[in-house]
Amino acid sequence: MQRRAHPALIAFAVLTFLFLIGPLVIIVGAALSDTSYLTFPPQGLTLHWFQNVFEISAFKRTMITSFQLAVGGTALSMAIGIPAAYAMARYRIELPRFLGNVFVLPILVPEIVLGFSLMKSVAVGSGVPIMGALLLGHALLVLPYCVRVVGASLNSFDFSIEEAAVSLGCPRWKAFFTVVLPNVKPGIIAGFILAFITSLNDVSISIFLTGPGVSTLPIQLLAHMEQFFDPTIASVSVLLMFVTVAVMAIVERTLGLTFLTK
Amino acid sequence: MSPRLQAWLLAIPATLLVAVFLGLPVLSTFATTIGTDGSPLSNYSAYFESRFRMTVLWRTMEVALITTLVSVAVGFPTAWIVAKSPGRLKSILIIAAVFPLLTGVVVRSFAWLVILGRNGILNEFLQKVGLTAEPLSMLYTQGSVIIAMIYLFVPLMILTLVGVLEGIPEDLTDAAASLGATPASTFRQVVLPMAVPGLIVGAVLVFTGSFTSYATPQLLGGERQMMMGTFLYQRAMVTFDWVGASTIAVIMVVVTLATVIAMSRLARRMNPVAG
Amino acid sequence: MTVSLDLSDVTAHYGNTKVLEDLSLHVAEGELVSLLGASGCGKTTTLRLVAGFLEPTSGRIKLGETDLTRLPAHSRDIGLVFQTYALFPHLSVRDNVAFGLKQRGEGRAARQRKADEMIERVGLAGFADRFQANLSGGQRQRVALARALVIEPRLLMFDEPLSNLDAKLRVDMRVEIRRLQQINGTTALYVTHDQEEAFSISDRVAIMNAGRIMQLDTPEVLYSRPANLFVADFVGFENVIPMRAVAEAGDAVRAEIEGGGMIDLPKQHYTVPAQEFVLASRPEGLLVDTADRTDGLPAKLGLRTYLGRAYQYQCDTTAGPVKANGPLGTPREEGEIVTLIPQPEQCCLLPREAK
Repeated sequence: MQRRAHPALIAFAVLTFLFLIGPLVIIVGAALSDTSYLTFPPQGLTLHWFQNVFEISAFKRTMITSFQLAVGGTALSMAIGIPAAYAMARYRIELPRFLGNVFVLPILVPEIVLGFSLMKSVAVGSGVPIMGALLLGHALLVLPYCVRVVGASLNSFDFSIEEAAVSLGCPRWKAFFTVVLPNVKPGIIAGFILAFITSLNDVSISIFLTGPGVSTLPIQLLAHMEQFFDPTIASVSVLLMFVTVAVMAIVERTLGLTFLTK
Repeated sequence: MSPRLQAWLLAIPATLLVAVFLGLPVLSTFATTIGTDGSPLSNYSAYFESRFRMTVLWRTMEVALITTLVSVAVGFPTAWIVAKSPGRLKSILIIAAVFPLLTGVVVRSFAWLVILGRNGILNEFLQKVGLTAEPLSMLYTQGSVIIAMIYLFVPLMILTLVGVLEGIPEDLTDAAASLGATPASTFRQVVLPMAVPGLIVGAVLVFTGSFTSYATPQLLGGERQMMMGTFLYQRAMVTFDWVGASTIAVIMVVVTLATVIAMSRLARRMNPVAG
Repeated sequence: MTVSLDLSDVTAHYGNTKVLEDLSLHVAEGELVSLLGASGCGKTTTLRLVAGFLEPTSGRIKLGETDLTRLPAHSRDIGLVFQTYALFPHLSVRDNVAFGLKQRGEGRAARQRKADEMIERVGLAGFADRFQANLSGGQRQRVALARALVIEPRLLMFDEPLSNLDAKLRVDMRVEIRRLQQINGTTALYVTHDQEEAFSISDRVAIMNAGRIMQLDTPEVLYSRPANLFVADFVGFENVIPMRAVAEAGDAVRAEIEGGGMIDLPKQHYTVPAQEFVLASRPEGLLVDTADRTDGLPAKLGLRTYLGRAYQYQCDTTAGPVKANGPLGTPREEGEIVTLIPQPEQCCLLPREAK
């Protein structure tokens, strides 16, 4: 008995969502096609192209690198981001203003500029090994996500609980691990997983920092696309979509996907 | 130890990481662009005098602007429907918007390569229904870059605006109706002005995102539709002209900063709640 | 022009849940009727149906001669004051008040003048250029009131308008609301869960429960003569003592109290509604007296609390625990055996209901 929106508006929204989902459906179809070229709807069904992904060593190698990088970069970012987020939430005065400015920097500086600058100053200029430079770049890339998502959880955390623990004889540092952290766990998990997928999908920073021998999956995909145009890429894309689904499931279970609209 | 000192200590590692590995390298990029012969801004005047380089800058501006406007036009009505949907449907729609957002830019650009390519799905379809005899070359045009960019940024716009529109209490639109406002005037006089700050945030994200993008113009624009991102890469990694690349980088930072500052000024001025 | 509001046999659903059942209600010209009840009783649903934010499953809503049932909300000409006030945060006080006039196509000058007049009338002169963010709760309430009044609607509606104000302001504002409603004699529907608020300003009050009106009457009648156990309990008849009429005893009816004991109920005060009935009373409707009286309920005293004007006792009777009051001069001790004398003006007899 609630009033409905205008039919034209509904039709418009339906078209928008078709536009959003359609191309991804096409990729899935193309990945399953039993042809040596990309086509949709698929002609014949095969999983051959998925098998092919794991037979091409470059994909296998870069996939591993990408996962290592995403886990390592995010872990590094969390290790330094959580204390900062805690400090901002706990001591609200003056600190957030300063730190807010610090953490907005990675947003204000375009990723591609960060990638280029890191390559120029850190990788080439200071001789940091490729993997190290990549790790730093990805940690910087995801730091705003970590601080923001964990910060959102901490901001709704009632710090009197921590004070209660201290008043009951629990040392401060221990109270942080036994009282604060367990209560913001959903935020940390969600932040970790969102940072992870951001890192996994990154092109703009990695494109400058990958070199002979070390590359990430998206960069390898880009290179592959410029030479070959077969369903293998579609299969890799589908595999990456599975990762996206897993990420969404985890975010939904922790903070809920509506968190992403806030 | 005072709580304040403690707070600062906790924040030091993160601050250091940002300062040393983002602040310093970017400053060094800025420094690289300072001209050694005569005027310190000679690299910039060289840039602004080159017709080709300016074409790249204007093209990037144009693509980013069109992408932003279309994303707003597509995102706003869609976000309105999402925000007004009942619980379960709303979750499904949000999932449908989040999924592409979390899918990588390479994958999403690749989809348009498959659709718009010479032997792509669209050409195949057009030939089958007889709309065209020869395949059209749709790739490596400004249009192909723009459509892929729109595809890239519409989910972001939708999700930003859903949050904003959900924040407008239903009571307000009900109140407008009870005072005699038609749905159209309620939208114009209540919803739109209240959504302005969110629209501005969304527009800034889309504009700066598309202005500094790399993968999409690389895949769908190629050499022919060089944009700032691809131009920067080409100068840095193909011709090894680091001064030129740094100049492009600084221009990108300046445009991003100017957009953010101008728009947040505008947002503050148009902030409906300010009294 | 004052008009009446008529709801006939209105039924409404949220999804599959029925929230209003065959509700009929007549609000006469210029009358203020309150819908009173706990949350979920259907009072706000009724208001939203009249406002046009919801559509009834069946039934009709008429305002004067106009059938509102399928009319869009913006064509109904109803001034509505929201619980949240629903002030437009992006508009000044003046523009908020003028909003409805603007929709009615009034010129800029005319609507500003009318808005300013109304702002002054609700006591906010000098606040016209402020925004909601800079107003106190009471001031917001007044703006909401002015905004609803200035369009001179045919019907005024209030949805828990005072629930976000502190206690003292609530009392002031409800007087103000009543005063402003009576200036133009606008027909009004007022929704609240606060009994005192409803009783103090309404011509009539409808006490609602589970999507139905349990009793619709003047506050005076509701307060002293509830028509059923639900209303009795709602207006404070906490003690419910089941009885059975057994015999005539001169000028009284002799009744057997459930669980044992007899009581004589004088006919001049009580009308027995059925053979099986209950005596319902407020605590002050049972007065503690010595054990030797025969015209009351035998009881054993429990805990005593001090109320200022009297003592209150938790008592055990054969029919179960009740609350009774006793005079200040003679405090009694726990365990004493007493008689509780019903005070006719604070008691009533009601037919028993299946639980």
